[in-house]
Amino acid sequence: MKRLEVLPLLRRESMGDAYHVLTFEAAVDTGASAGQFVMVRGAEWGDAPLLPRPMSYLSGGRTPSILIKVVGEGTLRMARAEPGEPFTLLGPLGRPWRGAHPGRRPVLVAGGVGVAPLVFLARDMAKSGLRPLAIYGGRTARDLPLDDELAESCELVVTTEDGSRGRRGRVTDELLERLSADIDVFTCGPDRMMAKVAELCRERDVPCAVSLETPMACGYGVCLGCAVPREEGGYLYACVDGPCIDARQVSFSSDSHAPVKGAPRVL
Amino acid sequence: MSRLQVKIGELLLHNPVLTASGTFGYGLEYEDFFDVAELGGICTKGLSLLPRAGNPPERICETPASMLNAIGLANVGVEAFCTDKLPILRQRGVTVVANIFASSTSDFVAIAERLEREDGVHAIELNVSCPNVTHGGLEFGKDPKLAAQVTAAVRRVTRRPLWVKMSPEAGDIVAVARACEDEGADAITAINTIRGMSIDVGSARLRLANRTGGLSGPALRPIALRIVWELAAAIRIPIIGIGGVATARDALEFLFAGASAVQVGTASFSDPLAAKKVLTGLRAYCEDQDLSVADLIGRARAT
Repeated sequence: MKRLEVLPLLRRESMGDAYHVLTFEAAVDTGASAGQFVMVRGAEWGDAPLLPRPMSYLSGGRTPSILIKVVGEGTLRMARAEPGEPFTLLGPLGRPWRGAHPGRRPVLVAGGVGVAPLVFLARDMAKSGLRPLAIYGGRTARDLPLDDELAESCELVVTTEDGSRGRRGRVTDELLERLSADIDVFTCGPDRMMAKVAELCRERDVPCAVSLETPMACGYGVCLGCAVPREEGGYLYACVDGPCIDARQVSFSSDSHAPVKGAPRVL
Repeated sequence: MSRLQVKIGELLLHNPVLTASGTFGYGLEYEDFFDVAELGGICTKGLSLLPRAGNPPERICETPASMLNAIGLANVGVEAFCTDKLPILRQRGVTVVANIFASSTSDFVAIAERLEREDGVHAIELNVSCPNVTHGGLEFGKDPKLAAQVTAAVRRVTRRPLWVKMSPEAGDIVAVARACEDEGADAITAINTIRGMSIDVGSARLRLANRTGGLSGPALRPIALRIVWELAAAIRIPIIGIGGVATARDALEFLFAGASAVQVGTASFSDPLAAKKVLTGLRAYCEDQDLSVADLIGRARAT
């Protein structure tokens, strides 16, 4: 059952310039399952940034946490927040990861900040005696936050596009080599990455769950801003139909809003 | 009559705080947060004759103290609303304003006729001002003759209170409102969103697939307030003020400018309790000042 509450920031841990883990102090158990998300907004932000930001839970319980990457004004404010600062949290929202298919080895495919819901999942899987394979990729070695946490509960394979750590290339290069009929894939990351993972899994008839990420204004099915094309036509809404959903239900766009090659990254 | 009650034509609202179409679903989505029946009323997501899937993504983005949306009037359609949503709203005692949208006068009439068969629809709000659809919408709201034609046609098939929602993009919004008043509208809702645009510099691409989207939120408030002020001087029927209302203070601005009620819109996304907080604040203000809402309407006009 979702709750709307103002919680103080307990601590903020920086991981390089762009990534931070924010942990909040809740009075009661958050009740969040791996894969669910929370709408987060500074309680004192006033008129701007206006909207809460959808964030996957990194952990639930009494000290819910999120992983953020600074991409705009809202995440910048979060990246500068000090302990004690009040935040409004609305959650848990959306559908969690499905259960793992018995008899298959879980393979977690993560891209950058998309690692958060997979760390939550990996910890749950470890508790139930599973040891998943995690394939974790980023642009550079600096884009692999929480790699240690993933390594605690998984066999970890790392890829970077510039070769600064692990295998040079993309997570999908690694996945292609490890695809076998007896694995069970869970993935979260940039759209194009998830689209490729979904395509590879579909070709081999491997089950694949994705966690969708889109802009959202409300988080509970009202604004209708988080539309994602549905394979059978029409739209899914990431907030209520997802964020975790079977990849075969999603029609991944070939025309994603990916940065133009060579364009500078602007905050 | 209690302090907070207000009459919009023949319709008595228990208070002047409503929620805006498109920001409150069909009302039921907010039951987890508070008792929606406490509000003066809710305006439903725009209802069309047939269900609509809406526009391709990206549909929304944030802009300074505001947001852009190009949802494209995705909705369940009037039939599903009547069978699936309305019975629950009726049971809960919610005051329901059905916001309706069509691309032709005959479809507007057909939707109104369908709603006429139902109990529990307290008013109809004509959306002649949506900026995000190719046909209908804004075309009706920009032209006094077309707005009058739709109003007159719907007026003929319903005895329910009829509100018409204005676009700030009408060249002469006073003329549009007067034309609707002349054809029997019971109230004017002002304003809908105004078209805006945003570009992601990192990718050098427009941030909305629809290119433009309707701007809403606090940034819209001064524009909305100015329009309410102008309308209040020009028409006799009540005005429902809407545009960036997030607090009781904002609601008071609209009432003082001449609005008889307000709609809380985008603020519900920032805080699902926004409308309830506006109501609580307004009630506290009236008690503190020993005034009723009727005393507040147009207060700034006397000075």
